[in-house]
Amino acid sequence: MGIIFLSDDIMQTPPIDLACENICKHFAQFTAVNDVSFTIPKGSFFSILGPSGCGKTTLLRMLAGFESPSTGDIKIKQTSVLNVPPNKRPVNMVFQHLALFPTMDVAQNVGYGLRRQGVAKAEIAERVAAVLQRVGLPDSGKKQVSQLSGGQRQRIALARCLVLNPTLLLLDEPLGALDLKLREQMKIELKQLQKEFGTTFVYITHDQSEALVMSDQIAVMNHGKFEQVGTPHELYYEPKTAFVASFVGDSNRWSGRVTQQTGETLQVTTKDGLTLQGVAQGGTFDDASEVDIFVRPEAIHVSRLVPQIRLDNQLECTVNNILFDGAKSQIIAIEEKSGGRIMVAMPQTADFKDLKITDTLYLTFSTEQALCFSHSQELDDVDH
Amino acid sequence: MSTISRSRSPIKLGMWLLLAPLCLWLLLLIILPHLELLTYSLSAPDEGGFTFEFYGEFFGESLYWRTFLRTAVMSILATILTLLIGFPVAFFIAKMIKGRSKGILFAMCLIPFWVSELVRTFGWMILLRESGVISTALQWLGFIDSGVELLYTDATIMLGLVYSAMLFMVVPLVSTLDSLDDSYIEAGYDLGGNNWNILREIVIPHAMPGIVSGCIIVFMLSLGNYLTPVLLGGKDSLWFTEQIYTQFITRFNWEQGSAFGILLLILSSLIVWLGLKVTGQSFTKTMG
Amino acid sequence: MIPSIKQSRRFYRVYHSYLVLFFVFLSAPLLVVGAFAFNDSLFPSFPWEGFTFDWFFNEAGDKVGILFDSELLESIALSCGIAIVTTLFATLVACTNAFLFERYDFFGKSFLYVLMLLPLVIPGVLLGVSILVFSSQVANYFEDYWLIDLEFLRPGLPLVVIGQFAFITTICTLIISARLKKFDRTLEEAALNLGASPLMAVFTVTLPYLKPALIGAAIVSFLMSFENFNTTFMLVGSDAPLTVAMFERLREGSTPVLNALSVLLMLGSAVLAIANMSMQKKD
Repeated sequence: MGIIFLSDDIMQTPPIDLACENICKHFAQFTAVNDVSFTIPKGSFFSILGPSGCGKTTLLRMLAGFESPSTGDIKIKQTSVLNVPPNKRPVNMVFQHLALFPTMDVAQNVGYGLRRQGVAKAEIAERVAAVLQRVGLPDSGKKQVSQLSGGQRQRIALARCLVLNPTLLLLDEPLGALDLKLREQMKIELKQLQKEFGTTFVYITHDQSEALVMSDQIAVMNHGKFEQVGTPHELYYEPKTAFVASFVGDSNRWSGRVTQQTGETLQVTTKDGLTLQGVAQGGTFDDASEVDIFVRPEAIHVSRLVPQIRLDNQLECTVNNILFDGAKSQIIAIEEKSGGRIMVAMPQTADFKDLKITDTLYLTFSTEQALCFSHSQELDDVDH
Repeated sequence: MSTISRSRSPIKLGMWLLLAPLCLWLLLLIILPHLELLTYSLSAPDEGGFTFEFYGEFFGESLYWRTFLRTAVMSILATILTLLIGFPVAFFIAKMIKGRSKGILFAMCLIPFWVSELVRTFGWMILLRESGVISTALQWLGFIDSGVELLYTDATIMLGLVYSAMLFMVVPLVSTLDSLDDSYIEAGYDLGGNNWNILREIVIPHAMPGIVSGCIIVFMLSLGNYLTPVLLGGKDSLWFTEQIYTQFITRFNWEQGSAFGILLLILSSLIVWLGLKVTGQSFTKTMG
Repeated sequence: MIPSIKQSRRFYRVYHSYLVLFFVFLSAPLLVVGAFAFNDSLFPSFPWEGFTFDWFFNEAGDKVGILFDSELLESIALSCGIAIVTTLFATLVACTNAFLFERYDFFGKSFLYVLMLLPLVIPGVLLGVSILVFSSQVANYFEDYWLIDLEFLRPGLPLVVIGQFAFITTICTLIISARLKKFDRTLEEAALNLGASPLMAVFTVTLPYLKPALIGAAIVSFLMSFENFNTTFMLVGSDAPLTVAMFERLREGSTPVLNALSVLLMLGSAVLAIANMSMQKKD
């Protein structure tokens, strides 16, 4: 999928809707956004993914005009909007708690922006009806906001912005308040609506699954900086930093020391005592330097018999615990030699149906699937 | 749901025990006295029986009904003025500042009201009388040649009414405006609104319960005020509560006074009811 | 309008000057009342004759200081007494009311709630006269038919207490209800679960939680009673509480002793206000 998007970009090179140049935002005590630059092509779904407090909300509010950057420039369609107040920017926002006006009914909410533009009454009614039709709530105009379900409110909040044909639509974690089932459904719906309307979306979230499912491009943000910008595919398979590797998708992470180097390939002995082969990422390492090594649970081949194929990393383990979660079930295994822990995805095949604690398992994965980054203290702090 | 409300008999007893003081209070001190006031105003003092005489007196004597109308109109005017003056202050406290300074400013609004209305009115008298602070200051600055009496005018009464009721407007306004999340105002701007129409379409509709409850209380306080008109308005203040007082205390004509009381009650209920009707608010929600 | 939406500089300048004017307006009367308490003159007005403490401490002569003005001092004591009694009754009944409205459902509840709110919209003068008329009628009835003289139903201090209680109770009920609403019922259930009787649960868990509201209600009630004029004026007999005494003095033409008195009242209120605020803060 990612490859297809990439080649599309190259072939058509759509115009750039948003360009941020070296944006910084300092508050009295700390720096919320630190020298961030990026561009978003027209019609794409761009997500900013990061933990809470990483500065993503501040960045979004600067795009909307509710904060102004300390330095740097924001250009929408090649024109700087720094001196344009929020009510004049061609940018609309879906707020975290949606901010649907409780004193107005649905049609008045959706028509609010059009009334501000001085559009004639008949045309407002027409356009409101049309947009409600498009978001699949054609008869809800007379309803009060309080009569709508959570999913319907989402769609009304979208409709309220989309009816204005904004250049950019900003979304501030709008799915956060929904329950899991509805959130899954809204992800698909949002993506669908974005495609239909062709509006450029800037979406911020701390939920990697939302970002991965919906986005064309994702920026992973941490401590006010972009760690990596790329397609979901790139972030998942080729993380550029330890933070991205740990934040996007699940990973086994071990800290350890380099014991041997051959070109890109490192041999690492973890603190647990495992000896693993991995690929060096983000530069070269000295012998004995501290590294973090990441392996995705789903990238590990699991077998109950001694495997036929030989891979660089071979571990003989016993099952320590089984975390049953349907298709997402996981096994916690302990390597017999060293006692090191490893988490693997449980294959959904008949072989593993009767797997019990203390059963023996053979785990194998290639060197390419073990990514080594220089050690990050921050990730340690999060773990403990 | 809870254990307490499930078990039957002790609960009933408890409820009756709690209900008793409430009912006694409301019955003996609110309902019966007002009913008595009504019957008193309708009964002939000497021969007994029923009479409209005292209401006839009210409509016959132009001083009475003029004072009545004047009191009503000035109270409404005072309410509107208080709202207009208090709203920007309440908005500033609720929405434009945060943290410590917000608390301090709010407390500053309350401080004048920790001393009695009498002291505040006394303050205005010192400021406004002929030998008062403002008159002296104007002379000293050379704007006027001799002392000027600023007391005993309708404008002075209005000033006093607005001043003494301000707190009761600002407090409910601040609390409703506080509950308006910033994101609604931001959403309004984001969708292209400007100050004026966001105020009209988002802020004011949201603040309506606070506006109505503030207005009701301010109106009641102005209508029922006695000190301000008497002290700041002087002999010709013509305030209806003065008439009631005169009938009861000076003339000892309780029947006439009761009739005036009932009329004032009708007027106040009517205007409060109209206010709630027009704005579509419920009494329990705005006052409770 | 709000901090995230910038306005023109002129907008802020006009807005801020408006606020300054507003606070000058609010504080001016209090400041002049305070200032003239220290004027060495027989009238609380210009010219300024020099600074003096006479209006506080002078024992006799032209200028009798507030601390030696027996008439005013007595009226202060009277007002305090009235306020204490009113506060006790009002807070107690308000507390039972709050429990009733927050905890029970019964026929006519919403009707009673509206009735309970009514004193807020009845002008104080009316409350005074209606209680005056009613109590006199009752007293007359007892006197005529039973030959019993119910002195407390005639204008006087007991009647003042009754009149003030009639509306202060409503305000106290609202204050206490607001806090009781926020009380987490599971705490009481936990107490029951640990072996307390329902009544014990209320006394050991709920009432301590309500304490700030009870104290707040008591302070508000004390001040409202102490400062009340409209209702009191209608019901008062020969003894004059402070507001009535001050009113009479003001009508006669005042001396700066009233300013001195006002300064003392301001200090007293400030103490109560600070007590109340620190009470709410601990919360």
